[in-house]
Amino acid sequence: MRLGKFVERFIGLIPVLFGVSVIVFLMITLTPGDPVEIMLGDARSSPEQEAALRRDMGLDRPIHERFFLFIANALRGEFGLSFFHRRPVIDVIGERLPATIELTLVALVVALAIAIPLGVIAAVKRNSWLDRVATVGSLFGVSMPGFWFGILLILLFSVKLGWFPVSGRIGFSAEVRSVTGLLLIDTLIAGRLDSFWQALRHISLPALTLALPMAAVLMRVTRSSMIEVLRADYVLFAEAKGLAKARVIGLHALKNALIPTVTVAALETGSLLGGNMIVETVFGWPGLGRLVVEAIFSRNYPLVQAAVLLYAVTYVLLNFLADLIYTWLNPKVRL
Amino acid sequence: MVDAGKNRQSVATCSRALLTAGALVLFAGMAGGAYAAGELRVGFSQDAQTLDPANHRNRETETIIRNLCDGILTRDPAMKVVPDLAESIRQIDATTWEIKVRDGLKSHSGAPFTAADIKFNLDRLTKENAMGGQTSPRKSLLGPVTGSELVDARTVRVKLSAPWAILPAMLPFQEMVSEAHAKKVGDAALATSVDCVGPYKLVEWRRGDAVIIARDPGYYGGAAAIPPVGPAKPDRVIFKIIPENASRVAALLAGEVDIINELPPSAIKQVEASDKAKVMAVNGTRTFFLALNMAKKPFDDPRVRKALNHAVDRKLIIDRILAGKATALNGVMSPDAFAFNDKLPEYAYDPALAKTLLAEAGHPNGIELTIDTTGAFKSTAEAIAALLARSNIKAKVQVWEGAVLSPMWATAEKRAERDAYFTSWGNGALDPSDIMVPTLRTKGRGNFAGFSNAKVDALLDAAETETDQTKRAEMYKEAQAIVNAEAPWVFLWLPQDLYGVSKRLKGWQPSADSRINLHDASVD
Repeated sequence: MRLGKFVERFIGLIPVLFGVSVIVFLMITLTPGDPVEIMLGDARSSPEQEAALRRDMGLDRPIHERFFLFIANALRGEFGLSFFHRRPVIDVIGERLPATIELTLVALVVALAIAIPLGVIAAVKRNSWLDRVATVGSLFGVSMPGFWFGILLILLFSVKLGWFPVSGRIGFSAEVRSVTGLLLIDTLIAGRLDSFWQALRHISLPALTLALPMAAVLMRVTRSSMIEVLRADYVLFAEAKGLAKARVIGLHALKNALIPTVTVAALETGSLLGGNMIVETVFGWPGLGRLVVEAIFSRNYPLVQAAVLLYAVTYVLLNFLADLIYTWLNPKVRL
Repeated sequence: MVDAGKNRQSVATCSRALLTAGALVLFAGMAGGAYAAGELRVGFSQDAQTLDPANHRNRETETIIRNLCDGILTRDPAMKVVPDLAESIRQIDATTWEIKVRDGLKSHSGAPFTAADIKFNLDRLTKENAMGGQTSPRKSLLGPVTGSELVDARTVRVKLSAPWAILPAMLPFQEMVSEAHAKKVGDAALATSVDCVGPYKLVEWRRGDAVIIARDPGYYGGAAAIPPVGPAKPDRVIFKIIPENASRVAALLAGEVDIINELPPSAIKQVEASDKAKVMAVNGTRTFFLALNMAKKPFDDPRVRKALNHAVDRKLIIDRILAGKATALNGVMSPDAFAFNDKLPEYAYDPALAKTLLAEAGHPNGIELTIDTTGAFKSTAEAIAALLARSNIKAKVQVWEGAVLSPMWATAEKRAERDAYFTSWGNGALDPSDIMVPTLRTKGRGNFAGFSNAKVDALLDAAETETDQTKRAEMYKEAQAIVNAEAPWVFLWLPQDLYGVSKRLKGWQPSADSRINLHDASVD
């Protein structure tokens, strides 16, 4: 990709992020509900207490003033204090983001590891029992609610068999110095294989729960794309030349067939980053999704605004990444 | 054409790879993660918002902090207020209380803890802008307290702007931090760093995941009135954050945690069937009721409100939906609270009487109403609606998000078109002042019914400043009787707080104030 294209893409981010900022600010601020009331709950209070809290949260200012302040602060990378944690929003998000990134990446790897081989097998053995099993399996994966599947996995593998822990990221005895924030990597950097196994053990069930519906979608996309590519003249030509079947499928067909898979994987990964709150809740995974849902229900404006902006940036960057992968998969694609 | 032999080979290769991956994960699953000796784990529904005791209004946060930091006073298992960091507390005059602090107290870091630390905390809690330019959100929990003055190294006087009889009942909600530490790290850092006098010291706070605390061997032992007095029994306690009910229950059944809070009534049988765990229950402090909009017809007529009370079979709902784990109420107060009036007449379930009362009020064909509630209570509200139908009361349930619903019922103007609100109000202080004033005094912030009775207002105001507890109790009992007769609510129940507890746990009892105090608990 040319440098000019890079710059163009990044400049294109500015109106997107501004638009997202305006929408999220207005939506969260205009939604009924008062963070001061929510914080005070049903415990003893007084008008003076309410006024002090409103002032400390900056909610005593008119809405337009709050908006311009939000934009001015956001440009400096500041998003204010989380109403309920009473600490900078950036710190609160920063503590939880690595867990979500790690879970999403592992889920993505698991999903691709399931989807691509199964999609290819289903396409190559079209209409066979293998194809039918894979297709019905994918339907099962797509239609199964994450929270239900997660609970089933917990009941079987944690309660019944005792193979995996119910919740958390790592055992309580493990002490891992944070380098990347991703425990699977940090434990390896520290040379702590025992802690690595613990981290792997903790992430297995939530990653599988997240990966399954994603794998189902990707499997179907890979299958259809592969069926189409297998019919292409260049594949028939390669076979006619006498190339080994595995080489034709793996080298010639699969690379082209993966372009739609990459597109869908990028979109799904973006959705996972912002939408894995259910799985995070079920497995007590200390990620961002759970934090944001709590923030929405408690009308924690600064936290919601910062998190949505983060999601928007991530989504755009993932699509950008998908474009880069296209050029690698198919050099004819020019960006 | 596809070569079948090569295909089989590629399928087999893929299958082998999948099996290998599965085996690897399984191997990983069987390894590591043992329980350390002397370790106690609590599966807890919510993480702490902060570790600064003065900078939150969250009950779960307080439960975690309470295991780190003691307060001036605390409550014993019978909910009696007893001295904790204080040796004694006495009232000097109508607006002054004197606290004598224990001798020889030391914080986790070994710093001396004296009356000056108590003064620092009280001032931080009650002075405007005293926390880095912000005011403590807990200021109003100390009512008319204006500050404190130091008398000597062990004595501090609490100053009030007006007499306030429930100061001792409200002090257990405040935990105290070391002044030296607070000044050293600053207000902002107190959110994550803690040094105070308490049974456990902070080891690590894994945000959203766990709070790990370890026994402080130098701990003075806690309230003299709550034996055994001495350092905490477990070496280490872990509050493991598991927000989902089903997962919390699973963690208990899998033996990963020893105590879980907020056990859903639907999981009672599952826990009781387990050979590893049991259910423990204690009366909670949250009163459930159906607030009736008294400014709107037909709920302005006391006969209609009484008819509604007679139309709800509370015992049936308690048995069928709440698994029998609640106490039916005829008024607002918990039976465990100060000044509970046990002489209130009962609104017995009587559909015929309800119909008669409605006919007398001019509604021989019954009435219609909409019950507002949140998603969590939808099924219970629907059960109430179904029971009302037997008395010709056609009720519809409308579910709202909590953050939307509460403001919608906050003022007479906002609730003008609403009928009934199925809700609850907590009373952690177990004192009528803490629940009757907000929910039943004219224009109280939780007075969703819009109840206004001059006699009740006068009684509540007088009791607020009356220092003779016997007289105070009589005032509240009289107010409860008036409220019972006026029936601004359909009086419902006080649910028990349910805990799932490992059978290896010893020395722990659930507490009515929802705290999980782990000082005396231990595991086999």
